[in-house]
Amino acid sequence: MQRRDFFKKVGAVAAVGAVMPVMSFADDAKLVGPNAMSYKTAVDAITGGKTPKASKKIKLKLPEIAENGAVVPVTVEVDSPMTDADYVKAIHILAGKNSNARCVDVNLTPANGKAMFATRIKLGGTQEVSALVELSNGDFLIASQSVKVTIGGCG
Amino acid sequence: MADKRKSLIKLKPKKFKDGEVVKVSFMVMHPMDTGMRKDKKTKKIIPAKYINSVKFNYNGKDITTMNVWESLSVNPVFTTYMKINGKGKLTVTYTDNTGEVHEKSKKIKPKG
Amino acid sequence: MKAGIKIVLSVALLSSLSFGGEQFAMSDSDRAMYAEMLENNPADLMVANGEELLAEKCGGDAGLAAFLNVSEDELPVYLAGFPRYLPEFKQVVAIDQVLQGLMYKNGHKPFKLKSSDMFDMSAYAKSLANGEKSQIDIDANPQMKEAYVLGEKTFNQKRGGRGLSCMSCHSPDIIGSVLRTQPLPDLSNKGVAVAATWPAYRMTKSSLRTLQRRFQGCMKNALLKVIPIGSPEMVALEVYLTKRAEGTEIAIPGLKR
Repeated sequence: MQRRDFFKKVGAVAAVGAVMPVMSFADDAKLVGPNAMSYKTAVDAITGGKTPKASKKIKLKLPEIAENGAVVPVTVEVDSPMTDADYVKAIHILAGKNSNARCVDVNLTPANGKAMFATRIKLGGTQEVSALVELSNGDFLIASQSVKVTIGGCG
Repeated sequence: MADKRKSLIKLKPKKFKDGEVVKVSFMVMHPMDTGMRKDKKTKKIIPAKYINSVKFNYNGKDITTMNVWESLSVNPVFTTYMKINGKGKLTVTYTDNTGEVHEKSKKIKPKG
Repeated sequence: MKAGIKIVLSVALLSSLSFGGEQFAMSDSDRAMYAEMLENNPADLMVANGEELLAEKCGGDAGLAAFLNVSEDELPVYLAGFPRYLPEFKQVVAIDQVLQGLMYKNGHKPFKLKSSDMFDMSAYAKSLANGEKSQIDIDANPQMKEAYVLGEKTFNQKRGGRGLSCMSCHSPDIIGSVLRTQPLPDLSNKGVAVAATWPAYRMTKSSLRTLQRRFQGCMKNALLKVIPIGSPEMVALEVYLTKRAEGTEIAIPGLKR
């Protein structure tokens, strides 16, 4: 066998080894982004130190297993009448282990008619994603779900 | 440059009545670079370039405003709801961290 | 020695496949979430760009219809039958090659087949056939027959360092096995609609890709020499797979992992 062939084969074995389903973006993890912020700092910054209450009023929809970390669909719906007296003021989406845990703050008004927000986020590995909700009366609610980030399929 | 970016506003359902609550989505071609990724060829870090604020304005009133960070996916989509309140215009504006500004409008014409 | 390594490899590959199947197959509700994303497919932006490019470089839908010698009403059904043998080209061509010819005729420098502008424009052109059934007539002429045979041969041809062919991963024997969360698709399955959902947005690449570009990605990862887009073998592969998934409704752009 020729040397080059050998390395090709070894490379192939290594590639098969890399078929391990759960992986993080190791390269990215070493780099710190321009807005690095931990999950705890982010929550405190939003709530002003208040502890948010876990609530079933929030319907957080995320895949349990994301087929790739670059595009993870997330939908947040909050059970709210959305009237001037009682509405959802803001929906914050937080990714616990991303370099910057803050993904997006969505400030809503009664003119939205329904408290819902959907987008797609990047996740740098398996982690918990949270929806932190601020109500018009100043209360904070929270719901979380863990998402397994895999590298799926080929190519 | 800024205004050449492709963007779309979609309403669902497409036909609606006054007072109806409809789903509204804004999508745009944008790199959403985190500043943490290296160019595969040059090995240099690609500078951060991400949308940092989005505003949905309906007939002169900001109905939804957003602060956005680099964690949203490339070519992002923003979906929320809006209550139809008369004929007029929905304008979505975004800015990014490099100062780029983009605006997209859609006419709102409720039937009945 | 060589054979020994091959055996180790195939065992490793198989074990990782079954491991994936047991542990990391996505649930149906997860898949439904991804399917829902079609409602706001980022590729709609690229298709809109393709529409503008077609208007600018090719005289829009009317220009394309005239170039293909069909009326604008006939255009959707006609486009649903690509790749086709066109006498002007003296070969079987896919839509991107037609657009190159049309750009050239209109005095523009044609976009490269492997360029995002060409992907965008081809996606728009093919989206004109949306709602039509994918259909391809391989008995229309000897050239189409030849292309189908060449496509089948290319699909089954073992190549590269690992001796893999398209068939290695897409044979009926292992269809449904899970390779890193993804079930290996049966390419002739109507639901998979392989040729009716490409061009598609590739989420891992954050861009719009054509079917032939996807073949290239597959070849690269399987350590096969990458065949150029627009080459007789590539067009033949598109003919072969389009034929196998015949009758599925065209819905462009698709959305793929």
